[in-house]
Amino acid sequence: MINAKLMPKIDSRAATLIGAFVLSLVAGCSGGSGAATQQNVAGPQSPGSGYSGPVPATPDVQQFKIHVFDNVRTDNRCGSCHGIDGVALNKFARSDDVNLAYADANLVVDLLLPSDSLMVLQMEANHNCWLSDAGACASIMETWITNWAGGIVGVGGREIVLEAPASIRSPGDSRNFPEDGGALFNQTVYPVLTAANQGDCGQCHSSGSAVMQSPFFAQGPIGDADALLTAYEAAKSKMNLEDPDESRFVHRLRDESHNCWTASCAADAQALADAIAAFAGQIQPVQVDPDLLASMALTLYEGTVASGGNRYEANVIANYEFKEGEPSLIAHDTSGVDPAMDLTLSGNVEWFGGWGLNFTGGKAQASTAASSKLRDLITATGEYSIEAWVVPGNVVQEDVRIVSYSGSPDLRNFNLGQTMYNYDFFNRNDGIAAALAANGNPQLSTPDAAEVLQATLQHVVATYDPIEGRRIYVNGVLSTMQDPTPGDTLNSWNDTYAFVLGNEVSSNEPFTGVLRLVAIHNRTLTEAQILQNFEAGVGEKFFLLFSVSHLVNVPESYVVFEASIFDSYAYLFREPFFISLDPDAQPDGIDLEGLRIGINGQEAVVGQAYANVDTIIESTLYDSATGQQIASLGTVVPLQQGPTADEFFLTFDRIGASTFSRPAPVTPPAPTPVNLPEASLIGVRTFDEINATMASVTGVSPLEPAVAVTFDQVRQSLPAVPTIEAVLASHQVAIAQLAIEYCNAVVEDIPARNAFWGGSVNWAVAPAGQPAGWETALAAPLLDRLVGSVGNQILTQPDRALIEAEMDTLVNGIPGSDPPRPGLAGTDGNVVARTSVIGKAVCSSILGGAAMLVK
Amino acid sequence: MINKIEKLPNDGTLASHRTVWRLFVLLALLLSGVSLAFAQTSREQAKAIHDRLTGVPATEADLIAMESRMPAQAAMYAITLGENSRHFATVTLKNFAAAWTNRDQTAFVPLNDYTTLVIGMVINQVPFNQILSIDRLYVQSGAPLPTTSSNAHFEALETRMMEPGFDPTSELVAVPQSTVYPMLPPDATAGAMTTRAASEAFFIAGTNRAMFRFTLVNHMCMDLEQVHDTSIVPDRIRQDVSRSPGADSRVFLNNCIGCHAGMDPLAQAFAYYNFNDASGAIEYTDGTVQPKYFNNNETFADGFVTPDDSWSNYWREGQNALLGWNGSLPGEGSGAKSLGQELAGTRAFAECQVTKVFNAVCLRDPVDGTDRAQVQTMTNDFIGTNYDLRQVFAESADYCTQGL
Repeated sequence: MINAKLMPKIDSRAATLIGAFVLSLVAGCSGGSGAATQQNVAGPQSPGSGYSGPVPATPDVQQFKIHVFDNVRTDNRCGSCHGIDGVALNKFARSDDVNLAYADANLVVDLLLPSDSLMVLQMEANHNCWLSDAGACASIMETWITNWAGGIVGVGGREIVLEAPASIRSPGDSRNFPEDGGALFNQTVYPVLTAANQGDCGQCHSSGSAVMQSPFFAQGPIGDADALLTAYEAAKSKMNLEDPDESRFVHRLRDESHNCWTASCAADAQALADAIAAFAGQIQPVQVDPDLLASMALTLYEGTVASGGNRYEANVIANYEFKEGEPSLIAHDTSGVDPAMDLTLSGNVEWFGGWGLNFTGGKAQASTAASSKLRDLITATGEYSIEAWVVPGNVVQEDVRIVSYSGSPDLRNFNLGQTMYNYDFFNRNDGIAAALAANGNPQLSTPDAAEVLQATLQHVVATYDPIEGRRIYVNGVLSTMQDPTPGDTLNSWNDTYAFVLGNEVSSNEPFTGVLRLVAIHNRTLTEAQILQNFEAGVGEKFFLLFSVSHLVNVPESYVVFEASIFDSYAYLFREPFFISLDPDAQPDGIDLEGLRIGINGQEAVVGQAYANVDTIIESTLYDSATGQQIASLGTVVPLQQGPTADEFFLTFDRIGASTFSRPAPVTPPAPTPVNLPEASLIGVRTFDEINATMASVTGVSPLEPAVAVTFDQVRQSLPAVPTIEAVLASHQVAIAQLAIEYCNAVVEDIPARNAFWGGSVNWAVAPAGQPAGWETALAAPLLDRLVGSVGNQILTQPDRALIEAEMDTLVNGIPGSDPPRPGLAGTDGNVVARTSVIGKAVCSSILGGAAMLVK
Repeated sequence: MINKIEKLPNDGTLASHRTVWRLFVLLALLLSGVSLAFAQTSREQAKAIHDRLTGVPATEADLIAMESRMPAQAAMYAITLGENSRHFATVTLKNFAAAWTNRDQTAFVPLNDYTTLVIGMVINQVPFNQILSIDRLYVQSGAPLPTTSSNAHFEALETRMMEPGFDPTSELVAVPQSTVYPMLPPDATAGAMTTRAASEAFFIAGTNRAMFRFTLVNHMCMDLEQVHDTSIVPDRIRQDVSRSPGADSRVFLNNCIGCHAGMDPLAQAFAYYNFNDASGAIEYTDGTVQPKYFNNNETFADGFVTPDDSWSNYWREGQNALLGWNGSLPGEGSGAKSLGQELAGTRAFAECQVTKVFNAVCLRDPVDGTDRAQVQTMTNDFIGTNYDLRQVFAESADYCTQGL
């Protein structure tokens, strides 16, 4: 693929590719399609504005001049070699005549696929990049060419050319990292990384280090299992098990002389390569099951590039795609608009798989000098858009900064932030009262109830213009109400502030989450443009062409997936389709069932969303240009060794005439039950049972008003569960309250009282006049029901005689006790009403006691 | 407490009331500590059976009657005759089911159509495996039918239930759910799941997954953790489930997928249901998927887009085959009714109902091999008696009260 990419594309607008099919995939505008109608106001800022040669002969030459020529022709970029006096044969940067430069430039660009332009590929190959990062130069060059192409292509579908893999091979045996908690790693590689007389990488690559440089593949202390696991996980992507010499660890020492520990980096690299080889050598290779119906295999980067070029970027003045990756500490502004507003990473910020920055407390900040271009270019138009692909780490962080242009927590020109489920947008404008203006208050937020911010990948665009004010679009949808703050000019913006991502400039408002792309436009993006950029997605994407010609009787046939690095831990596979690159092929009647994704010799254990596929490739549905879709779904598959090493293939339960008899999933044996702690065999009545019991025992209706009111009040204070261990003193209080209410009701209601006690108690006589043993008569009807009648004691209930003795004490006291215990009858003994009081006391004591409660 | 005593007529001084209260507490604590060492007779067991099944202590007459029926018919006597049957229905069964009808899983809720359906089915011995599919409600005889937007009918019924003389067998009458809630065609009724109470609790807002999860909890006795299986084909997981929560797809691949892969294709059965908070009634959009199924559809745009209410049971294979699915059912279908039949057709459903009864009557979980064997026996009996849950209550009471 790399070699194929390096082939120059000579005016590829007219080129045709033999053996490849053109696949129209994007119905919307091509990259920078809007550039046909809107000139990038950043243009005058570019270094080539001093051109004095012949005027551009055609509109296309004019577009070339604006977007490419003026940017590249200076001596500190391409002009010194590709200028009129340069040594290079191609003079695309000649300053004397833009029309002649244009003719040469056409030989080294691909306007249909700018990323395939020789000018871009040369940058990628580190051909005289004017920055420290070749990738950044390539991105900038691609941006310039894309903007040029956008001006001439106009509205139309971008075409992606499917290319057959350079190498069509069967899935190979593969080594995978063992899930052993790092035990084997601990015996082989970890010692080299951590030993004081060898790598001693923990001086930096450990969270306990003063300089704390991630990844923490030398995490200590040595001997600690958690530290080992951290180191192992971090080291996996740095080790190539199939070719240890190609491990990132080895490259860093051998090719980049990164902190070698002896005088010979080659020797250090070899020591580490040997350790990795020893590690890999002890891992049993995984062999592909020969019974599987497997496609041919390829890695992610052997696919056809599918990304780039679809975004609307005509007015981008700062752009971050975060392609750099480790060990860079700079995220380059690839907008191509000078001055480049490069971001310096500090604190806890890590590069994220598939392009991005993962913020966990750190920040990425530009210099104030470079940041001033925002002030200059945005105040010139009076409007702007902040665009970001964001993955908020959570939905609980508040008042944190995602994208900010500020001087302190209280001073800013703009800020896109997060408060729980909301995106917040602050903007300083000239119409806001001075007291609020300095911080861009009042903020505009997405509505609380909508909860549009989710801890998942989201496309967020915040736009501002003087007419509509602020707006926030999430995933292409306007998510805010009308801005209550009137729009105005932005002349009060302060050009000494700094542009910062993931935090405040003062580092005290950290955002936890991932930024996968950030762009600042000095125009308000229209809803169509926002939608276009949303649909363009983010990150590098590839079409993986899995050859199945050996399984079906169709030449050059493939099952194709769009694949990308989803995050640091998984790949995204989506929308598989069947296609033959032979234009004369007529596939028909090809059964296709049970499609699974294999990785490194094995079917992925999780994420097999196509296993239920059951379709037929039919001539009536098949289109030679677009093939036939197999499924519209996407799925994520765990990343193992990283995108350069992970080898994918597909398997089928049925394809064409071949069938794989897949064994049914194994049902494990039922788990052996475990005995629980011994539990009480008895319990207590719960709330309604207590109420019903008291009603049933006393004969009082639970609907009696006073009872009903009390029950409503205490219902939830009564035992809610029958567990006897859960009974609390507060329950007993509520039970007593209800018991007293029932007893009050039965004593005060004469018919009820008579029915309950019959004639056994004379209520018209004061306690002093009551016969001996009257307290027993008071207790009798309750005890008959709760513990059994006289002579019929229920043995599981409290002893009747004991309760009667307690009632005797309650009513009559204990004669001669010290201190005196006169009993209830000892007070107001000659008052008739006292009899009722004592009756209620005896009743409620028994009704509210354990004899009632326990069951 | 003091206020209560103070309002008693001619009740003397406050000090004496405090004395009464102190003595009361002393007595209660004393009685709570009474030793329960005794030799059980049929009388004690009869008393315990009555307590456990009705919630109230037996009368002397009941004890005598039950003793004469020991062992086989005593329990059934306690739940079928007179006031006993009232208490069994309005106290024991009501609180047996009340907590299933709300998200807080509390029994402190007014009587509703879900609870009443359970009461009616149990006392009328309706096969309880129809609880998730039957086109039926139980309402108060002689009263106007419930309205679609109010629980008032059942709250009035709850008051009536507290009156002595309430006869559940004659005063609770069966009516088709589709008659009471005419927006539900008979085929769209699904027993408890389409009651107004369940709808209000589990179809309101959200994504309707709550209905599935709480049905699983209440009628299969397991939460999603127990059916977690990451090996299931994840092709029906909706778009609203992030595949990379907080930018970490490991969370999805190790956790989220394990529940959603099986749950989402089953919860698709509820695609046409909603509880309309404004009208206070269940909503059924036959043939049109509710908008809630497309909530947050950009979270993972490549996820499954629900086209209809067809459901598939991916749990029939793999570890969740242990739930004991009914092989005579197809394992897929459309709508809530057939899903209810699928769930209620499992051994896990039957075992769950029996275990719940065991807990309610024995006041504890099955703790050892003997208890577990009893649960299996009762499960077999439950299935063998055409899912007569009333019988399970009787069997449980008989088992748990032996040796008390």
